[in-house]
Amino acid sequence: MRRRSAGQLEMLLLAVLAGAPRHGYGVIEALRERSEGAFDLAEGTVYPALRRLEDAGLVRSRWSEVEGRRRRVYEVTGTGAEVLTERRTEWTALVRGVDAVLGWSS
Amino acid sequence: MSGPVTIDAYLDRLLLELRGRARDVRRVLAEAEDHLRDAAAEGLAAGLSEAEAERAAVERFGSPRVVAGRFSDAEPLGVGRREIVDQLASSLALLAAVGLLAIGASGVLSMGMRSLLGDRFVAGDLPGVTYTPERCREFFEYHPEASSCAAAATAHHADEVESYRLAAGALGALVLGAWLWHRRRFGARVADDYTPGAVVGVLPDGFAAVAGASLFGVAGAVLGVQALGQMVGTGAGSGPGQWLSGALVSTLVASWYAVALLRLLVSRARARARSSPAA
Repeated sequence: MRRRSAGQLEMLLLAVLAGAPRHGYGVIEALRERSEGAFDLAEGTVYPALRRLEDAGLVRSRWSEVEGRRRRVYEVTGTGAEVLTERRTEWTALVRGVDAVLGWSS
Repeated sequence: MSGPVTIDAYLDRLLLELRGRARDVRRVLAEAEDHLRDAAAEGLAAGLSEAEAERAAVERFGSPRVVAGRFSDAEPLGVGRREIVDQLASSLALLAAVGLLAIGASGVLSMGMRSLLGDRFVAGDLPGVTYTPERCREFFEYHPEASSCAAAATAHHADEVESYRLAAGALGALVLGAWLWHRRRFGARVADDYTPGAVVGVLPDGFAAVAGASLFGVAGAVLGVQALGQMVGTGAGSGPGQWLSGALVSTLVASWYAVALLRLLVSRARARARSSPAA
């Protein structure tokens, strides 16, 4: 399984999926809600990003019956969870560093 | 918005833009449709009309070209270098088979020209060409009935034009047979084939038609100029037939590819027109 760094969008998708398996539309809704509208991207571009995560072995997907309809449901793999933890640590350090330079308290 | 405004039209356009394995393309379309229907349902629940809800869903999803492009930023869906080489090799093999068969057909045409217009029209020598006595003896071995060395040489050259071209045609039939067998055996072909491993549109649409029309068009033009130049310059007895037969068959094959390309362009234009908003 290839393990690589996830870009920012992919990091956000991993964080959303870490909470619970979701289908693509659910991922978009969760991203919008949790960011309070800050992340409102072209919804179709989420699917290529999910595809890249799947190719990298960070998520897996399967067809599933959801509310009577056949949906593709995504969930984080063990490797994906590890990568997410690393990215969270990196991001936290980055934010702390930026805040320090800007003179803001974290 | 200049793009598609209904979910069905959007999916039609997305299908045209996607490249990759058939199963992967189907998955993308299925997920896109699920998403768009959910988004439209949300819009309806918020009080929009069905048309407004679909338009909003499609706009929020993004341009079909952009979405399809994001999938193929790294490589076409599920398709690696091997599949691209396979498809290219398959297209070139088919072109080679058609080319060899065309040469064979020009051999048949040469036979017809020879019987109607004589050996010299097909393979006559240019003025001033002479042969050694030894060479003449060889020609007379093939054609003892000939009245002169020149006549025997012309008859022998005409035989060669026919036999080599017919042999190329036979080889072309073998190559075509092998191509058809390979396609049936391994199931990998462009267009709407849903067998496992089938690949949709890795090569640009119309690749074979453009290549065929170009190659055979150029061949037809070059051979035609050669035939015309020879007829005008040195007369009908200096063998313009061998070039003319090639020019006619090449032009015919080029026209066939050109018609195929035109049909493809018309069908793509109609598909785009169907998936565009009504004026």
